[in-house]
Amino acid sequence: MSEEIVKPDLNFVKEVISSGGESLKKCYQCSTCTVVCGMTPDNSPFPRKEMLYAQWGMRDKLISNPDIWLCHQCSDCTAYCPRGAKPGEVLGAIRKMAIKNYSKPSFLASMVNEPKSAILLFAIPIVIFLVFMMIQGHFTTGIPRGEGGIISFSKFMPPIPYIDFLFIPLAALVVLSFVASIKSYWADMAKNYGKPTDADINKSITDTIIEILSHKKFSKCNVTADRKIAHLLVFYSFIGLAITTSIAVFYLYLLKWESPYPQTNIIKIIGNISGIALLVGITMIVSNRIKNKDKAGIGSYFDWLFIVIVYGVGATGMFAQIFRLLDIAFIAYPMYFAHLVFIFALFAYAPFSKMAHMVYRTTALVFAKHVGRDKSI
Amino acid sequence: MSAHSSESTTPRLLVIGGGFSGLTSAVDAAEKGIEVIIVEKNPYLGGRVAQLNKYFPKLCPPNCGLEINFRRIRENPLITFYTMAEVEDISGSPGDYTVTIKLNPRYVNDNCTACNACTEACPKTIPNEFNFGMDLIKAAYLPFNQAFPLKYVVDAAHCDNNCKKACMEACKYNAIDFNMKPVTITKKVTSIILATGWNPYDANKIDNLGFGQIKNVITNMMMERLASPNGPTNGKIIRPSDGKPVDSVIFVQCAGSRDENHLAFCSYICCMASLKQAQYIREQNKDAKIYIFYIDIRTPGKYEQFYWKVKEDPNVIFIKGKVAKVTQDTSSDDVIVEAEDMLTGEKIQTKASLVVLATGMEPSGATMKVPKVEYTEEGFSISSNGIFAAGCSKYPLDVAKSVQDATGAAMKALSLKIHEGEEVSHG
Repeated sequence: MSEEIVKPDLNFVKEVISSGGESLKKCYQCSTCTVVCGMTPDNSPFPRKEMLYAQWGMRDKLISNPDIWLCHQCSDCTAYCPRGAKPGEVLGAIRKMAIKNYSKPSFLASMVNEPKSAILLFAIPIVIFLVFMMIQGHFTTGIPRGEGGIISFSKFMPPIPYIDFLFIPLAALVVLSFVASIKSYWADMAKNYGKPTDADINKSITDTIIEILSHKKFSKCNVTADRKIAHLLVFYSFIGLAITTSIAVFYLYLLKWESPYPQTNIIKIIGNISGIALLVGITMIVSNRIKNKDKAGIGSYFDWLFIVIVYGVGATGMFAQIFRLLDIAFIAYPMYFAHLVFIFALFAYAPFSKMAHMVYRTTALVFAKHVGRDKSI
Repeated sequence: MSAHSSESTTPRLLVIGGGFSGLTSAVDAAEKGIEVIIVEKNPYLGGRVAQLNKYFPKLCPPNCGLEINFRRIRENPLITFYTMAEVEDISGSPGDYTVTIKLNPRYVNDNCTACNACTEACPKTIPNEFNFGMDLIKAAYLPFNQAFPLKYVVDAAHCDNNCKKACMEACKYNAIDFNMKPVTITKKVTSIILATGWNPYDANKIDNLGFGQIKNVITNMMMERLASPNGPTNGKIIRPSDGKPVDSVIFVQCAGSRDENHLAFCSYICCMASLKQAQYIREQNKDAKIYIFYIDIRTPGKYEQFYWKVKEDPNVIFIKGKVAKVTQDTSSDDVIVEAEDMLTGEKIQTKASLVVLATGMEPSGATMKVPKVEYTEEGFSISSNGIFAAGCSKYPLDVAKSVQDATGAAMKALSLKIHEGEEVSHG
């Protein structure tokens, strides 16, 4: 390494410590972590050097570093760390700060990081949906029922001009936000870590997608090997639910067929299987975290907010359906209302919450493969 | 070794532990005119030092120091020692303690002339604990060839009736007695020194370093025995799997030390021990390559000079980076270690014919506590209640500093004599 003058950013150090990396200063640079890590490349391995950069406040060496995303937080490093410095947790804190750094607008990024804003995060969708209810006169004239007098959520909160008029622009904003973030992240990576390469970027993208779909990287974890199944379930349930949503769009806008749909319809079958997978997966994630808390750490507020949102989406969706079918209106409607609130939280805050890891990690993996840093497995 | 039967009121010191610290305290106190009782759990005196091949940094054998102490003990009528003995209870207060000592049966009485006939006749073999199980010995045995007292011992638990019969028939001096039972005795003493020493940290607990699974991974104490002329190979450093002389050795520093999953403290001696053991190998093989993987080389005080000297040897290669993975080579009995060479920033694999884990010192108090003695969370003894802790039971030390510490403890114990049991300050 050539000579360079370190300009310590002390605020960065403090921020890492307060973001879940409180054990950072315990590291005494023995490099057990890099050796037990199954994810790191052999050349300039992580996370030992990241621990040093973080201790020294070398912000620029971390925020745009693709290595922090090659880490999948297996916590093998944390389990074997002789000092309880928890490199896995520290890198988790740095990733959170990287998301905060690149995501726009940044005030929203701060909000998902601090517990005191939690009420506000949920208050926003609650107010929106209460206003929607008010406009429809639900509080004065009651909630209209569907054909045959059944509970119908599309009568309670019609896609047009409510749900879709809210979520479609929202989705567009989220995509724009992600595009802007990823552009500047990619530019930083290219500036700081890019090496001339004739590698085909399309191949790097394909390899990354295959790797994600197969969850191969998770197989390299030892201490938290059980995370693979849990994460896989949640991951594929999201894909399943995305398919469900696409079918719903098709039914509504092309077939002009409004919900509710029969339980035997393909949309319900895919939706329910995905819903159950989501609940099973997220329950496993919670139980794994509790089980491994001594070896891997319990995680930060940031992690748990995301877990709560995902759990909320799954549980309220399932309960809303069950109580709708049971025709118990006083539970079914509030459940659906809560479901909408959680869906809003999941989408609207995606660029800032842990949901963003999906986009940043994918980008970093593509970049790392493109510059020959991360070998395909 | 006759027990004092008279319970006199004269000052008397109990030393728990007959290793180098305990012997030093005992001899120092006795030579100042105080009566001393040594209680040792092994069948021999000398403790861990008896297992060492050479001392650092002078690389001289420890036998001479031990022999001098043994002679001082033999020649001093004020010293009584019990081997295969344990302190079961301590009551009373400084100046007036009553201790209960359990004497375990040796099954060999004072008639033993160390003629070796029982060993020759004994049909049963057991792993040799003195050599960390690297060889087998007979169930009737002499712990090692300079053992003091020079008296055989029978492992009755592993000696069935046939074995017992063979041993007894072979002994011409009626020295073997299977009717011996554990005996409990009580003694009045005025002061107590605790010098129960240390045990090598159990390397089986370090699950990523291969000990117990990979044959050619040994500990530093095993290396002492391998290099020792009275060891399992008569001092020839050969590897366990195939007896091949070693041409490359990797030392893994901080194997279980400075690690809160194992021993949270620095064991103080392991860096010096590895530097010393590198000399053992280099003396036997001028082409042998030594790799020392370390976090920091810790050679306190003047020991630094020894480190500089070893560093001059181009065949001793120092790599900054802790070994955290050890695997068996697939095509040979060699062993592969993995570490990050922090100075180049590369994750590297190095292969050698033998890997030595520089395991640390676990205080005896971690696994076996003496009643009435206070211990830290790690099991280090604390001087309190008029019981003076000495040597490695108190903190990790080398032999030279243990000796100084033990002399200090003897001084404190003697001060109790002067004050006739008054409370004295101690630390």
